[in-house]
Amino acid sequence: MTTLAVVEDNADNRLLLQALLGERYSLVEFDNGADALAGLARSLPDLVLLDISLPGMDGNEILARIRADERLRALPVIALTAHAMAGNREKYLSAGFNDYITKPIVDEMILIEAIERWLVRR
Amino acid sequence: MSSTPATNAAELPDVDPDALTRLERFGGRKLLREMIALFVEIAPARLSTALRAVAEGSMTTAENELHSLKSSSAQLGAMKLSRLSERGELLARAGMVTGITETLLESRTELARVQSWLAGEREARGA
Repeated sequence: MTTLAVVEDNADNRLLLQALLGERYSLVEFDNGADALAGLARSLPDLVLLDISLPGMDGNEILARIRADERLRALPVIALTAHAMAGNREKYLSAGFNDYITKPIVDEMILIEAIERWLVRR
Repeated sequence: MSSTPATNAAELPDVDPDALTRLERFGGRKLLREMIALFVEIAPARLSTALRAVAEGSMTTAENELHSLKSSSAQLGAMKLSRLSERGELLARAGMVTGITETLLESRTELARVQSWLAGEREARGA
């Protein structure tokens, strides 16, 4: 089964993602950056859903570390963020995220289509 | 909800029951029940932490807590609380202590209203 790593500190968002995606994919959850990087190094998922606003190491820093790591750098990483301001999409894509999904999630198909788009490119 | 586009905060809805209907569609009454239970448990703590952080001058902590509260509130349709949280988040980022305290106190009042609304919705939906 395709495995997605979910890096998200909010329990309610993890619960929601589990409900939306749990039947299609195997989800591995992390609530902070350090655990996520250690977990990704132990077992490579097929794709990462990465919250931007995490306490401590934020999503941008986690992404930078993923892209700097030879084993991890090819992983598709989709940003999950409540920062839904104009221009943010371009900002995150140019930072190296593969895609960008805004919270709150109102249409599960936008999320699933983004995931599938990047899974088929692997 | 009005079909006319709102032009200022006074015209925007305080709550959006459609958000709860959406959660039911995503994961049935079980998900709705669990999401409401988590929110009722976590949201007051986030607000208290933000208030304490502002009092202690830790604006980054306040900003992070309010950012999370903004997202969680919106997911459950607590739109006014989400807007207040966003205002607080921006004030925290700008280091505006006076303005943010006022906003957080207003948020506390709104959170009490939201909790009451969610309890009613949960009962009405059998969740």
